Amino acid sequence: MLRELTYAEAIREALRNALIKNPKVFLIGEDIGAYGGAFKITNGFLEEFGSERIRDTPISEAAIVGAAIGAALMGLKPIAEIMYMDFIPICLEQLANQAAKIRFMSGGKLKVPIIVRTQYSLGRAHGAQHSQFIPAWFLQVPGLKVALPSTPYDAKGLFNQALKEENPVLYIECSLLYRVKGPVPEEDYIIPFGKADVKKEGDDVTIVAISRMVHEALAAAKILEEKGLSIEVIDPRTIQPLDIETIVNSVKKTGRVIIAEDDHKTGGVGAEITASIIENAFDYLDAPITRVASPDIPIPFSPQLELEYMPNKDKIIQAVNSLLKG
Amino acid sequence: MHKIIIPRFDPAMKTGRIIKWLKNEGELVNKGEPMVVVEGEKTVFEVEAPASGVLKKIFYQAGSEVEVLKPIALIGEIDEPIPKELIEEIEKIKVEKKIELIEKPKIEKPPAKTFERVKASPLAKKLAEEYGINLEEIKGTGPGGRITKEDVLNAIKALEVKPTLTEASIPGLTFIPIAKIIPLSRTRKTIAERLIYSLHEAASTTITTSVNFEKLLEYRENLKTSLGEISLTAFIVKAAAKALEEYPIFNSTLDKEEIKIFEEINIALAIHTEEGLITPVIKNSNKKSIVEISNNIKELTDKALQRKLSIEEVTGGTFTITNLGLYDVEVFIPIINPPQTGILGIGKIKKKPIVINDQILIKPIAILTLVFDHRVVDGVPAAKFLQKIKNLLENPTELS
Repeated sequence: MLRELTYAEAIREALRNALIKNPKVFLIGEDIGAYGGAFKITNGFLEEFGSERIRDTPISEAAIVGAAIGAALMGLKPIAEIMYMDFIPICLEQLANQAAKIRFMSGGKLKVPIIVRTQYSLGRAHGAQHSQFIPAWFLQVPGLKVALPSTPYDAKGLFNQALKEENPVLYIECSLLYRVKGPVPEEDYIIPFGKADVKKEGDDVTIVAISRMVHEALAAAKILEEKGLSIEVIDPRTIQPLDIETIVNSVKKTGRVIIAEDDHKTGGVGAEITASIIENAFDYLDAPITRVASPDIPIPFSPQLELEYMPNKDKIIQAVNSLLKG
Repeated sequence: MHKIIIPRFDPAMKTGRIIKWLKNEGELVNKGEPMVVVEGEKTVFEVEAPASGVLKKIFYQAGSEVEVLKPIALIGEIDEPIPKELIEEIEKIKVEKKIELIEKPKIEKPPAKTFERVKASPLAKKLAEEYGINLEEIKGTGPGGRITKEDVLNAIKALEVKPTLTEASIPGLTFIPIAKIIPLSRTRKTIAERLIYSLHEAASTTITTSVNFEKLLEYRENLKTSLGEISLTAFIVKAAAKALEEYPIFNSTLDKEEIKIFEEINIALAIHTEEGLITPVIKNSNKKSIVEISNNIKELTDKALQRKLSIEEVTGGTFTITNLGLYDVEVFIPIINPPQTGILGIGKIKKKPIVINDQILIKPIAILTLVFDHRVVDGVPAAKFLQKIKNLLENPTELS
């Protein structure tokens, strides 16, 4: 039996191993040192590794990512933390316009192998500017890789791959998943980018689920299976690069797809995956591709309204039913 | 200047497909020398040079399908120029033919707007196309009446889709891995079409009887010293021909509302070749001696195996005999060779115990199977006809 860790513990272990093994790795972010991180992922790191390697910063995302890029150019391996995904636009110039492009613009002579860790806190009543899930904003940035772990196992494996990357990686965690437990091997295994995971096999409907929605999709699948339906759940794990092949193979088998994500429906990751499926598997579709996503409104502060806002297993079940029966 | 044309080997033959040129442009050829291999509807044959000279010009390459009687090449003297008008005339035929070929499929295609009116998923459309299903005839059970995969699969089941020869539309075929694809040759296709036609159209009815070949085998052995080896089939052909003289109704065809009795008794023999089944014909079988028939059979069989049969030799059959005895088959039910009314199947001659005058004896027995078109004739005359053949074979002295 593999030992079980929480999603947060798996990330913490990956970070700590990186700090131990590679002296060039350092962490930089707000409240990651003395406070132990907003979500306590880096708790105790300051004592263990010292302030040289665990750098608390002022409240300036632009400074965090800018400093990380500079350090990377000088040969270090920075792991920057942006406390809430919602704050990334402040450092978007550094991330998208600089980090993602320097390697290309220098003809490969300069590399920016930074990892930007961040999380989204949908479902915790943190308000409209602290809860957003906006991965699609980064899909159009060539040179930037985007990983979205959904399980403790994937969290560690994807992080280890991010450490090996020579390009900037946006590593997006989900705070609602931090307490989710799962088996995690002790050794430093790697999950390659661009390799989707079939979380559950099935024949009637494919659900492509991103991050937290993987768990909602699995819960929906369980209920639907009691009614005699067979559901396949696919987690792309990275949306840039996206493993369209695994998705298309699944569509060829089931003929029906639902894409489930916490993102807004309009222009979300689901829209991109939808387009790719149409391009590659149009003749295998037996029903319209259906997206289960958030409505196009700012996220409500009220916990009740936020629950209404969030996509969940019930909305997936509804979508499956309307796909089949109309 | 001499034109090489694709001859019409059969009244129904409209086109021939050029399989292979045996000579190149500029090569010297002798009159009667094989020039080109052509596949007609029933067989593959060689077209011979109509004159000696040089093969001046080939107008159609291998693979082309050309109307019968149209020139496909020219033979002339070495320095004889080809008249311009002749080339133009032939090229004109080619062009006109091409236009016709391009336009045809356009007409046959269903109007593209079909799919606009029918609500069907892409997968349903794809399956419908693969299986040759008309979506307009299906009721959709999906959301908003959309036709789904299930609906198409159910329609396939309900219709019991019969695979047509031109469309690879066998239900379930998509799910079975394919090791090798063999395109249907025209010969194979013709065989398939004709046999399916026969099964659909004729009211095929089968009767059988067993024949004691003891006397015939002895008789044949006795003839050996004077006449040499005579094929067993020759005796059967002769017996059938004699029986047909007495029961001409089996030497006939049903043409709409008329039964047409043929004047000649031409027995076709089914022969297996690499290209497939071919049925050369023994003309006037009833008027030939057994030795003649035997020689005829040998000659036709050799030609069939070498693909040298002329079209005259494979057409005009009025009744068919097929013998699988050589392959250890004891009983089988052949399919009538249209437009004929009957076919006789011969099984293996095998030593079997039979009861004669309350005694069990061991005799060489073969089962004869007569398949006839019940639209033309009834069971009792068929039984009498088969009995006649049996009697002749069991009393071979009556055959000559």
